[in-house]
Amino acid sequence: MPSQNELFTNKLFLNAILPLLKVIATDDPKLAKRFANAHAVIQISAKNPEAPGGKVATHFVVNSGEWLVHNDRTTKDPHIELEFKSIEAMNAFFKGQMNASTLPKIHGILKKTGVFASFMMLLLKMSSLLTAKAPPEDAATKALLVKCYFYLLPAGISQLNKLGHEAIHDWTSKSPDRVYALAVNGHPEVASYIRIKAGKSRAGRGEYTRAMPFFTLRFDSFDSALGILMSIDDMLEATKAGRLIMDGAPEFGAQLGEFLLTVGTFVQ
Amino acid sequence: MASGLTYTAVDSTALSTAEYYGKALVELGTEHPEVVAITADLAKSTKIGDFMKKFPDRFFNVGIAEQNMFGIAAGMAKAGLVPFLSTFSQFASMRVADQLHTDICYQNVNAKVIATHAGTSFGQAGSTHHAICDLALVSSLPNLTVIVPADSMETVNAVRTAYETPGPFYIRINRGFDHVLYDSTEYGFQLGKAVELHAGTDITVIACGSCAYQALTAAQFLDNADGLKVRVLNMHTIKPLDKEAILKAIMDTRRIVTVEDHSVIGGLGSAVANVMAEAGKGCAFQKLGFQDEFAPIGLHEDIMSIAGIDSNGIIAAVREVMGKDFEEDDNWTDDV
Repeated sequence: MPSQNELFTNKLFLNAILPLLKVIATDDPKLAKRFANAHAVIQISAKNPEAPGGKVATHFVVNSGEWLVHNDRTTKDPHIELEFKSIEAMNAFFKGQMNASTLPKIHGILKKTGVFASFMMLLLKMSSLLTAKAPPEDAATKALLVKCYFYLLPAGISQLNKLGHEAIHDWTSKSPDRVYALAVNGHPEVASYIRIKAGKSRAGRGEYTRAMPFFTLRFDSFDSALGILMSIDDMLEATKAGRLIMDGAPEFGAQLGEFLLTVGTFVQ
Repeated sequence: MASGLTYTAVDSTALSTAEYYGKALVELGTEHPEVVAITADLAKSTKIGDFMKKFPDRFFNVGIAEQNMFGIAAGMAKAGLVPFLSTFSQFASMRVADQLHTDICYQNVNAKVIATHAGTSFGQAGSTHHAICDLALVSSLPNLTVIVPADSMETVNAVRTAYETPGPFYIRINRGFDHVLYDSTEYGFQLGKAVELHAGTDITVIACGSCAYQALTAAQFLDNADGLKVRVLNMHTIKPLDKEAILKAIMDTRRIVTVEDHSVIGGLGSAVANVMAEAGKGCAFQKLGFQDEFAPIGLHEDIMSIAGIDSNGIIAAVREVMGKDFEEDDNWTDDV
């Protein structure tokens, strides 16, 4: 039976990281072109005897470049499926430990060869983005990477809350209706947020417009954002220099930062 | 600073908004010979005795005849003087409603009504002296500017602004013993512009008069006890209202509590509610004040406590409103 940490990690992959494939597939022009005429149901799954149907999965429905993400949901008849033998194997694979015991079985290559090739390119692109040690050179990739991080981290915190992660659930349980946001000045298209209230949470994409976020971790540029997100820059120095602006009480920023790191420790 | 019911003679002078009104009026009288003071047998109570002593030929006591006082003041203003009319709020609004309406506001004369003993600040005098409906009446009078200062320093600013701004004013001040909110007059007072006393994005408390201090104290307590970040706006000008600050509070916090030493009908809370309704934006909202009822007779502090417009009442209201949804939104599914 998987440990609690393995279960947490798996849920983060299924619900916070794999959904980023849609973002990359639609924002990267080369990949968008490859999927422009694709029609396929693609599933990434892991066997788990404890789960209903014996497996956990996230699947994607691709129609002429339009992506639908069905996170943490299995489909019986995908055109293409990457099936891991266990959730531990899936976690290890996506953490970069690729060996005979972690590699998935691949179904449907022959049925949709072109889509399969494109999907593998997409997986490699996500991997290269999220495991990069230095920021990308070009502006578009910088924006895409920031967007991926901004979408991933609140989703990760929200998922951990829903799974009952002790510290995070304690935080949301004691909170009134509040929104914590991530933003880069002048680029609302990459913004994201997490809304929490009395134990409930929701990760959202875009700017929160129903009220002013209680706290916003705001960067003055993509470079500044990547400096912090990739642990290259020092948070205090960045704040002093105006690269990082905390809209709200700093103690709440520190708390949010702690939970962002928690997500990182599960999926690194 | 004094607190609760423990005051000394020194405190009573330092804390009294009316005392500072008296001082400000003497200053204005010294600077501007056209300033005159007029009262209806309440010179001592309304603290304009110093003006009377310094400028006896510019001081007029009409006797217990408030309606006459307003008519006389209108004539004085028409003749180029700047009359400051001093009487209790209850009389400066209800008793003289017709004269205030027709002689002062309709004529748009340069007369300044200083309505003392506002709200329930003269609580022990009973309902005949409680002015908890005056804002509802005077706020509806065209041309009239309405200010409810939060403390003595703000009273000085309000009185000076009234002199500097042509047209009729209604300045509603307390009997005395108000807590000090500002150390000096230099905090950026602007007619029609609310003052943010405490920053916050969880909820906004909009207060006026002596309730502003209570709101600030409540916000500080809630920050420490509950970790709540409460924005507190001192809405000293009821008309013209700072709609911009209210709209910002609506958009930013979506939860608002108003608090006033007045009926919840027709005062600050109603004015804020109007702005909210016009904005078309849903908001969790609660008005603190007298809930369509007369106030009991007693000390100001006790009445405020009974009405829930003291710090404890505001704390309870904030906690209640924080539990309310400002809009139907129960979607807790993460975006993918």
